[in-house]
Amino acid sequence: MTQADSFKALADPTRRAILDRLRASPASVGDLTDGLPISQSAVSQQLGVLRAAGLVKQERDGQRRIYSVDGDGFAQVRDWITHYEAFWDEKLDDLAAHLAKGRN
Amino acid sequence: MGLREIIREVDLPHPPERVWTAFATSGDLAAWLMPNDFRPELGASFTFRADPAPGFDGIVHCEVLDFDPPRLWQVSWKAGKVDTVLTITLAPAPGGTRLRLSHAGFGVGTLLPRVVLGMGWTRLLRGKLMDLLTEEG
Repeated sequence: MTQADSFKALADPTRRAILDRLRASPASVGDLTDGLPISQSAVSQQLGVLRAAGLVKQERDGQRRIYSVDGDGFAQVRDWITHYEAFWDEKLDDLAAHLAKGRN
Repeated sequence: MGLREIIREVDLPHPPERVWTAFATSGDLAAWLMPNDFRPELGASFTFRADPAPGFDGIVHCEVLDFDPPRLWQVSWKAGKVDTVLTITLAPAPGGTRLRLSHAGFGVGTLLPRVVLGMGWTRLLRGKLMDLLTEEG
């Protein structure tokens, strides 16, 4: 799995809707289909993409498969945002130093 | 999901007019940010130059979206497949200026990791990721 997979998986509005729903609580395919304007097989297909990207995980509860958000996949997305945050932290320090230099 | 915008606020011991000078010319931006060919004109296209990496040619493509001295500085920020907007606002504060940085539009479908690697920013990561993940819950 690469980070690109996570981004690609997140790029689709239906998949984001599924993730929003799963962030609230774990759910079965049936639960998810109730809240979405697409068929159960389409939901299953999107769940497959989300699982492949490491954003969703699946557990068995008797006969049912229960899906939930997988924190590891999101950690990847956070990872690159964090790089940019660190970049700006350092650059704002550089800015302060730059302004201080010309002060006198 | 809290993934779309970076916000930083810093207080600087200079009046807004002085802080603005750091954003006003190509030379001043280069002194603290990155080499560039910025022009202080609304709608002007310019670039910042970083180190290339696989999937990133090292060029940040920008356009001046807003330029309102000494208050508002806004540019588009496109690097590789990253398409974002960088906004700097300056406001008078006791003892100087409050600078607010917003880097927004980190939608999805981007390939920022490569861009970031190209800019040599990995060394900056330090322990921040863990802090952030903890924060985010």
